[in-house]
Amino acid sequence: MTPPPAESVAAMIRPTPVTGDSKANRDILRVMEGGSLGYFALVALSVGAMLAAGGVWIWQVYEGLGIAGYAHPVFWGAYIVTFVFWVGIAHAGTLISAILYLFRAKWRNAINRSAEAMTVFAVLTAAQFLGIHVGRMWKSYFILPYPNQRGLWVNFKSPLLWDTFAITTYATISIVFFYVGLVPDLAIARDRATGWRKVLYSILSLGWQGTSKQWKAHNRTVLHLSGLATPLVLSVHSVVSWDFAMSIVPGWHATIFAPYFVAGAIFSGFAMVLTMMIPVRRIFGLEEYITNYHFENMSRFLLLTSIIVGYAYLAEYFIAWYGMVEPEQTSFWKRAFGPYWISTWVMILCNGVFPQLLWFKKLRTNIPFLFVLSMLINVGMWFERYVIIITGLSREYDPAVWGIYTPSWPELVIVAGSFGFFCQFFLLFLKVFPVVAIAEVKELEIHAKAHGGSH
Amino acid sequence: MSEFDRREFLKIIGVGAGAAAASGCSDPVEKLIPWVVQPEEITPGLPVIYASTCQECSTGCGLHVRTREARPVKLEGNPEHPINRGALCARGQASIGRTFHPDRYRSPMERSTDGSLTPLLWEEATAKVASAINAAGSKIAVLGGQTGPTVSALIDSWLAAIGGGTRAVYEPFAREALREASNAVFGVASEPIFDLTDADYVIDFGGDVLGTGSSPVEHSRQLMEARDAGREQGRKARLVYVGPRLDETASASDEWLAPKPGSEGILALAIARVAYDAVRASGRTPAGDIEAIEGVLASFTPDAIASRAGVPAEAIRRIGTALANAERPAALPPGVALTSRRATATNAAVLLLNAVIGAVGNTVTIPPPSGRPVASFRDVAKLIDAMRSGDVSVLLVHDTNPVYSLPPDSGFAEALEKVGLVVSFASMPDETSERASLILPDHTALESWGDAAPRAGVRSLVQPTIRPIFDTQSLGDSLLAIARALGDDRAAALPAGSFRGVVEAAWSDTDFREALKRGGEFAETGASLAPGVSAGIARLEFKEPSLEGDGKFVLLPVPSPLLTDGRGANLPWLQETPDPITKIAWQSWAEISETAAAELGVTPGDVLSIETSYGQARVPVWPRGGIRDDVVALAIGQGHRVGTYASAGQEGGEGAVRGASVISLLPSLTDESGGRAWLAAKAQVSATGSFQRLPFTQGTDNKRGRLLGESISLVALARGESPWAANEGPALAAAAHGEEHGGAHESEAHGDDHEGPPHQMRRAFDPVDDSDEADPFRWGMTIDVDKCTGCSACVVACSIENNISLVGEEGLLRNRQMSWLRIERFVGDGYQQLETGRPGPQNHEALGNTDVRNSPMLCQQCGAAPCEPVCPVFATYHTPSGLNGMIYNRCIGTRYCSNNCPYKVRRFNWFDYQITGWPEPMPLMLNPDVTVRGQGVMEKCTFCVQRMQSARQEAKSAGLQVPEDGAIQTACQQTCPSGAIVFGNLKDEKSRVNAVADENAGRAYRALHVLNTRPAIQYLAKVKREDGQASGHAASGSARPEKSA
Repeated sequence: MTPPPAESVAAMIRPTPVTGDSKANRDILRVMEGGSLGYFALVALSVGAMLAAGGVWIWQVYEGLGIAGYAHPVFWGAYIVTFVFWVGIAHAGTLISAILYLFRAKWRNAINRSAEAMTVFAVLTAAQFLGIHVGRMWKSYFILPYPNQRGLWVNFKSPLLWDTFAITTYATISIVFFYVGLVPDLAIARDRATGWRKVLYSILSLGWQGTSKQWKAHNRTVLHLSGLATPLVLSVHSVVSWDFAMSIVPGWHATIFAPYFVAGAIFSGFAMVLTMMIPVRRIFGLEEYITNYHFENMSRFLLLTSIIVGYAYLAEYFIAWYGMVEPEQTSFWKRAFGPYWISTWVMILCNGVFPQLLWFKKLRTNIPFLFVLSMLINVGMWFERYVIIITGLSREYDPAVWGIYTPSWPELVIVAGSFGFFCQFFLLFLKVFPVVAIAEVKELEIHAKAHGGSH
Repeated sequence: MSEFDRREFLKIIGVGAGAAAASGCSDPVEKLIPWVVQPEEITPGLPVIYASTCQECSTGCGLHVRTREARPVKLEGNPEHPINRGALCARGQASIGRTFHPDRYRSPMERSTDGSLTPLLWEEATAKVASAINAAGSKIAVLGGQTGPTVSALIDSWLAAIGGGTRAVYEPFAREALREASNAVFGVASEPIFDLTDADYVIDFGGDVLGTGSSPVEHSRQLMEARDAGREQGRKARLVYVGPRLDETASASDEWLAPKPGSEGILALAIARVAYDAVRASGRTPAGDIEAIEGVLASFTPDAIASRAGVPAEAIRRIGTALANAERPAALPPGVALTSRRATATNAAVLLLNAVIGAVGNTVTIPPPSGRPVASFRDVAKLIDAMRSGDVSVLLVHDTNPVYSLPPDSGFAEALEKVGLVVSFASMPDETSERASLILPDHTALESWGDAAPRAGVRSLVQPTIRPIFDTQSLGDSLLAIARALGDDRAAALPAGSFRGVVEAAWSDTDFREALKRGGEFAETGASLAPGVSAGIARLEFKEPSLEGDGKFVLLPVPSPLLTDGRGANLPWLQETPDPITKIAWQSWAEISETAAAELGVTPGDVLSIETSYGQARVPVWPRGGIRDDVVALAIGQGHRVGTYASAGQEGGEGAVRGASVISLLPSLTDESGGRAWLAAKAQVSATGSFQRLPFTQGTDNKRGRLLGESISLVALARGESPWAANEGPALAAAAHGEEHGGAHESEAHGDDHEGPPHQMRRAFDPVDDSDEADPFRWGMTIDVDKCTGCSACVVACSIENNISLVGEEGLLRNRQMSWLRIERFVGDGYQQLETGRPGPQNHEALGNTDVRNSPMLCQQCGAAPCEPVCPVFATYHTPSGLNGMIYNRCIGTRYCSNNCPYKVRRFNWFDYQITGWPEPMPLMLNPDVTVRGQGVMEKCTFCVQRMQSARQEAKSAGLQVPEDGAIQTACQQTCPSGAIVFGNLKDEKSRVNAVADENAGRAYRALHVLNTRPAIQYLAKVKREDGQASGHAASGSARPEKSA
């Protein structure tokens, strides 16, 4: 982002004192006020789901992982599926904040705050599953390379270790990124808040004054963080994909996995942004800030990534056929026509076929359609991971030990709880932080004024 | 404060901390109590081994009981014992659990009228029995199983001493028909002994000699040694199986004929007739009454019998000729499943065949009758009559469970009501002891003295290896105590002192201590007779038996290779081990042919109603190709109401029946000898419409052509055309071509590698490379698929050696079995079938197809193990000796290692099985050398690494650098009856494992080696011995048409 022209900044900072609050301030900060019955019902639902999952999880720790539906040889199930799903969701935020920032795609300003928030929450949700899924969560700290008396070290060859590093790095960067972007808006909120919010925002805004020096530092920080975050968008899900690709499981062991997973992650991330932002925009009347133009741009992203993902599906089947490796051929045949065929066809339809409707501009700007489509994509992307993980494991090299896995109800409660966990954060975020980046939206306005054109 | 010194302070701190800690934990404080006077022979940490005898069945295999700190932890075969030579079957392995069974009676019990049990003191219990006997006069009866000679003699003298009474010895699987047939054919009423050592042509008439026969451990060893494909002689040996169902022996056979059930006898006679002609043509004469032989055989022409039995006449001629020309042929009599109402005639026919082909005195010996009481169904029937008519006031029951194992129409259960006092000596509850008013619990075999005389020349001792865990008393001591309670006048006729003294007295003709050390007294050969065929054979009528009822199916009651006659059903290790044929555990299933299943419209798990004139049962169906269309087979052994593991009490509520008992469908009929007829009923089979998921443990028997469970034809083996040599690299490829087959096959590409002495030849892949150069070991194994019968002794041995948890039916339904070793059963090479939908178990068997490969699958200890790099915490790692080590304490349970293991041999502790699955006193039998795994960790086979450690320590104390070859035996290898598993150090050029691999290089392969996992286990492919080819048997005719899946 180029800094705004000096005169406009000067005009903003030092012109005639503001008589009333700006419209953007009012509109966006209004979202944080009060709370309807519906809002609290949603919070209750989310927290309820989370608590139920927490209860089941405590039971699981006590009883053992056996309460999940695992069946030899399928030793990874719904937990890892959901883990990968949430890591994928976490990708839209950074893509929007960092990559689109570097590419100067100004339209991102309206949605980047919520996307970044979703990134943070999704990574936090995903991270829960690392603990939920292991057999002895109370020893899961063994996976960290902490110094210890016995000289025990971790295995740097293991993709799971890379995974740990990738997730922790990503969580750190996305939290910092999110927070840095929040600071100017928190200052706006601070100036208007009373009570506990005043205290909270005063602390969190770090004494932001909006001086040009601060803005300069802020912009530079954002730029540098974008630079740091950009490779993570590509690397984190690549690393997650290597959890599978580095193994020798037929259907996992494929070189295409990294780009395939990254595209899938962005795809699912954008779908989730749509799923969350369409109702938020509607409920809080933010149509002025988040316009159909934004949704159309996101739809284009969906279309692009859907094509990549669809291509990956085809490429997997092609390579399985062309590679002449019988276990892999069998695995893919079973994937499409075996016991898990429903999941596979849900995945192909939701991720590869339905998004092709976005070629039509009418549908790209049809908000109800987009909402429904985004939901379908969310479902499809969950099933994509389900198909890869479960069908791969259930049909491996030794036909004598082929097995069938079906998720058990405790697993499904925990998976549902992860949505509750994510949603409660998002709902809190709506009421605690400005849902649209006020400063950046204003910047766009200034920009528009200065250049007299639209973006 | 002067008195508050440092010591006082420490005391207070200590007490305070201890109290705080104690109050903080919920587990009770356990104390380690040291020995005040340490027993001289026990060194903590070192095993003490006692020789004893297995009491699980009447075969009488010798045992070495390994005890640690005065507790038996593992049973192994006694290598000196002539019957089992160190091996043990699955049942024997599991029998250690009887001693530590949670169901055991803790003390003598009395049943009150409401059925509940109240503990008694031994004095009280004995007095109660004594007073009942006093009142009963001579209306006393003893009903028991086959016991050792000393107990048996004591029972007889006890009965005499107390003033008389009747005695019946009852074994459900008694071989009365064989004994009577021997009487008819040879005039000697004793069970012939079959010695298959070096046998070159064996025909088994449905005896399932390798699985459920009379001495499966011994016969598996002998037959598999005779068939060792590493030797020229072994490649020529042939095994023909005759029976309606593809069982363990049929799976191992070279040819399988499935005649109509019941026609085995006439088929044997037809074969005997062909053989007789061939024998006479070659100028030999069978011993005995030639006229009688010819008279019997006259009407049994191959063509006439072929249509009656449903077997091609060509096969009869071919087999008959081959048997006549074989050097050491043997014909084996039918087993329990084919014991029909004409069982004596059938057995006689088989014995006659043996006489004709010259097997008698060669592979078949007829011992003189032992003179001891033998199991007799006729005696049992008489006893039931006496009970019914009120002639029995006191019934003493020991070592048998007739309420379960006698058919309902025998009337035993009703007759039991008429008995005044039923006294049971059972050590744990069973259906019979549940009906007893007094229970005087016996010691288990590991707690008691005793002996066994399984055959002439073999006397075997039973000695206690642990102090009785509960307040029990051995049967002999109980009887002596009762006699003493009856008064001195009666006790006077009996030995004074304890039963131990009785045993010692019985062995007074030997060096008792020496016999104890060895496990008994073993003569090289027992006394035997070589009788000729007697004229008595003519009095038998040879024809097909009649079957009761009018159903479409013949009801075939198959003895279970694991549960035997049901006595193993309460041993969870046997329940958890999958059936060697169907791979189903914990349940009953009904086998019908796929054709029959299609007609009934049922698929696996659909519940069938099986109805005979005697009863009805509902059993889930298991359709298969390897069974005749007119047969429904049900395994004997399940259907118990009593027992934690035998019944479905744990999962199905109190007293719920586990599976179905085929016995309840059978009549109480006898054969000519008065023995029990099992093959006696026809059944009507219909679908019920309900479904029950069967806990089957193998997804499919189609191996899809993958490198698992391979086979090779004799031709390819002779030509050195190993399809796998390329994987093994030049040295093995060269060895596969072999010098005896000439160097012409040696590929030029390998030329360079042949320079230098053989041991310097580098292999393209050498598992030795996968260990540290400095380490003296690289552990490896060979597994001979050709020898594996699927008996699963190794599976149970592994479970007990390695404290492997049991997960029950519930766990198995989710594929959560914990077994480190499983036996995969593939039929044929399989094919790449791309079927749709939810898969059921697939079945690729067909009548006549014996291409079944039993392939034990355990951790392959890969050199390039896929499990190792993916573990984030190094919980699994490569040891210097090349093993894939597993550190349970480090494991966090990501389970990635299992996902990445192509062999799927890793098991995960989904629950804290060790706490939930081992009720008291079972934890006492845990092997202290093996870590007990907790919840959430992965576990796997490490070639019994604990045995390596102790052997290395022993070697060190003996001043050796490394243990001698063979000093370390893995549990699976140690117990394998057929010697299919060889383990050793690959770095030792002279080790047996290397020798076996080299001898059999032409059929060696490594499982799924295309993945470059560099396994340390070499499998030796099953040899398909097609007749009439290459080094096929000289006498064999045209090639048998082989169906393949």
